[in-house]
Amino acid sequence: MSKIENLKKQWEAIMSCMGCGDCGFAIRPAVGRYLVCPVKEAKGEEGFEIWFARGRMNVLKSILEGKLELSKDLAEFAYQCSECGSCTDTCHETHNPYIILNTSKWIDHVEVWHALRQDLIKAGFAPLDRHAKLIEYMNNPDMRNPYGEPKEKKFEWLNDVKGVSKTGDLAFYAGCTEPLRQKETLLNLAKIFNAAGKEFAVIEDEWCCGSISIRIGDIEAVKPNIEHNIEQIKKTGAKKVFVACAGCYRTLKKDWPEIFGQDLPFEVVNVTEVLLDLINNESLKIPEKDTEVIKVAYHDPCHLGRHMDFYEPPREVIAKIPNTEMIELRRNRNNAWCCGAGGGVKSQFPELALDIAKDRIDEAVESGIDILLTECPFCVGNLADSVKKENTNMKVLDIIDYIATKI
Amino acid sequence: MTLIQKLQNIVTEKFASDDIYVRHAYSRNVHPDLQGVPEYVVRPKDAKEISEILKVANEENIPVIPRGGGDCEWGGSIATGDVGIILDMKRMDNIMNLDEENLICTVEAGISWGKLNEYLSRFGLYTGCMGPGSGLTASIGGGISHHSVGAGGCAKYGACTNQLVSLEVVLPTGEIIETGSQANKFSKFPFNRFGNGPDLAGLFCGDNGIYGVKTKVSLQVFPKPPFANYKTFLCPRNSAEVAAQIFTEIRQKGIDVYDAMYIDEILIKLGTNTFGMYPMFEHLKRKRGIVFYVVEANSEQELEEKIKQLDNILLSNKAEELGSEIADGNFAKWHYTEGQWQTYHNCWGIIPTFENITTECFTPIKSFPKILKDIEVWDIENEENMKKIEEIAGFRPISGTGVVPLVDGNNVELTCGFTTFGCYHDGEYHEIIKDINLKLWKSFLTLVLKHGVQFYMMGSIPSRLMVEIGAYTSEYYNLMKSIKKTLDPHMILSRGKFNFWEDD
Repeated sequence: MSKIENLKKQWEAIMSCMGCGDCGFAIRPAVGRYLVCPVKEAKGEEGFEIWFARGRMNVLKSILEGKLELSKDLAEFAYQCSECGSCTDTCHETHNPYIILNTSKWIDHVEVWHALRQDLIKAGFAPLDRHAKLIEYMNNPDMRNPYGEPKEKKFEWLNDVKGVSKTGDLAFYAGCTEPLRQKETLLNLAKIFNAAGKEFAVIEDEWCCGSISIRIGDIEAVKPNIEHNIEQIKKTGAKKVFVACAGCYRTLKKDWPEIFGQDLPFEVVNVTEVLLDLINNESLKIPEKDTEVIKVAYHDPCHLGRHMDFYEPPREVIAKIPNTEMIELRRNRNNAWCCGAGGGVKSQFPELALDIAKDRIDEAVESGIDILLTECPFCVGNLADSVKKENTNMKVLDIIDYIATKI
Repeated sequence: MTLIQKLQNIVTEKFASDDIYVRHAYSRNVHPDLQGVPEYVVRPKDAKEISEILKVANEENIPVIPRGGGDCEWGGSIATGDVGIILDMKRMDNIMNLDEENLICTVEAGISWGKLNEYLSRFGLYTGCMGPGSGLTASIGGGISHHSVGAGGCAKYGACTNQLVSLEVVLPTGEIIETGSQANKFSKFPFNRFGNGPDLAGLFCGDNGIYGVKTKVSLQVFPKPPFANYKTFLCPRNSAEVAAQIFTEIRQKGIDVYDAMYIDEILIKLGTNTFGMYPMFEHLKRKRGIVFYVVEANSEQELEEKIKQLDNILLSNKAEELGSEIADGNFAKWHYTEGQWQTYHNCWGIIPTFENITTECFTPIKSFPKILKDIEVWDIENEENMKKIEEIAGFRPISGTGVVPLVDGNNVELTCGFTTFGCYHDGEYHEIIKDINLKLWKSFLTLVLKHGVQFYMMGSIPSRLMVEIGAYTSEYYNLMKSIKKTLDPHMILSRGKFNFWEDD
């Protein structure tokens, strides 16, 4: 078997990159595009082209042609990418349905980076040290989460809530980050459901969805998690499963069926879709208790936005919250700037993640908002870390937490 | 001390690399198969550092290749062979001054056309000629080195070198000079390219990087007129001839048009029927060539008058106006309002590994239909080789042209080429494709050259081909070479281009 088996499957994408470089430099105000690669910009003046897609594609061309080998050094470059997909978006983008860039039919950079990471894993050059720990924790029978926490801790938040059950039509897949690092958000979620008079089922013995392992490129490691979780979800009898984590959303909705090889026996939706239903059918009424209008913006998480084309429901929810003025950031939707946490960057290269986040926080502060809302615990965590580091007054909140302050 | 240490001493360790992956990242331009892996990559911050680098390169006899956006289709900013130092100019991308009174903007040469124009738009200004079609990435310095056109505005403003006011250039032996008004040391700011003796800035315009490294560029900038309109027309039979006639009449009547461009029939047909690139043209019953124009004006009245004049020309040539919306086929609207610097991009990567490389030349308006006809004949004559490639790639290469813009004077830019496949296919590297490609490119370029065209984006292949087939007059070539020898006695800068080095 070839050492570059997965890269070879991506040969059409790699060899179709003409090297125009727009994945590193594009500024197109007409379509809302202001630069492309968060890693390249965070590297600043040190940004050799290996730090953005064109240079990486050139390296991969040389690897396919047998002029270069995989190595540990290459892994150090490869994992300094948040896999935000901004390069792909720019590469494809005429921004008009009546004229098509055919590259959009065969170049998906994120898939190419995944292929490289999988081959680096198989060749023994990855995972990098901190990533290896995450996978080890995820597969540890006493943990089943990438944080290295005892398995039971993930379910402690349930001790403080009511209105949840073990079965029901609607189940909640909690993921790992919120139960273990942002428990308050889950308590607020329960508070919102209680206010709406609705219940949801929780999944017993839920394991990590495997997002981190998939992003790192270790697909084998995640297969037991998928099988286990699907069985556990089936036990709830749910027809619909909602998630409040962008990483989990992509993983359940896109990666699980692909890796599992078949459609899931339930529908996967995002929490904002559920919240929107609750608001629209008037189960959830958010009182106008404040007099002061709060200015907010929505940060599109990459795993929801560019990865899943999911842009509007969070905005529709925000639009229904009283005394809230929504301001679009200069770079929004498919042009949104990454927070820097994804693709394993936060765990392995935390300073790089913060450098990227600073760019987004600066943009948000310049927009004059009070609160930056998002719908991803990784984005919340990294952006909040940046706010703390930069000592700004702006807050970063999950939409769930923001709604909870209103009821 | 090793060479990498010497380079790092100049630019600091962070900005000079001999890492194998970094080097391969810079080993190609807009062409996956033409490759030269440099030995070193350096990201200098200013002219002084470049001067020091060039002095070291002369001591060590190692070639230096300046690289702006890296968008040359003929290997213009990659090493010729696996040697040399790449100067990555993209670190030098700052706007140094905008003289709003005199409408002159001074920038570092590595800045892209896109970035500069985004900045200028805040002041209601633009660069006029928007640089090359790849200007979202391509640099101002690279544009000046190529006389670039293509992104828009070249019917009105000409090639980007037309608006050049002054240059700061590092000569191959390390001296730093300024041109135009800045040749006078008492001049307070750049204001004029000409005077103070010969136009030495012109020496570096279109030099393809052989005479010096451009580090600072002052450009005339222009207020963007508040009114604009854009229309697209379907040509009758013999579309190319009709387009040429329309362009000629526009010039003869002296109409101030911002852009006038032609998209050849073959591109419309293949792009719609085969490749699905142009949903906007799907509704056309007859897939013929397309002509479009963009006009700008300072008042509605002026705009209406120009439209009237242009429409008269188009309609009298039996061109049929398409609807006003992009969905109706109004390519001009997309080009001007949304697609700036994207107009050529959808010809890239049309099918996997399809390499769209073109001649990038200037030619008189009325000559281009004949060139296109000869290309059709050439294509048929080379059927056997085309078939060999098709057997491997599964699709026959295509000969033809991309968008043909009217440029200053009575010229068009012809982006005709032989679009073929790369060598790597599904796990195998097919050396035979490379051999055929090189043979056909040489044959194709010769065909076009013999029509008397002017190549402007020459890279290493067309620049050497012109010498090899004797296209230059000996007097002109000898003068070029004498200047090169005087400025660059060790042939350090862009060694290989124009065959100066091989002839020595």
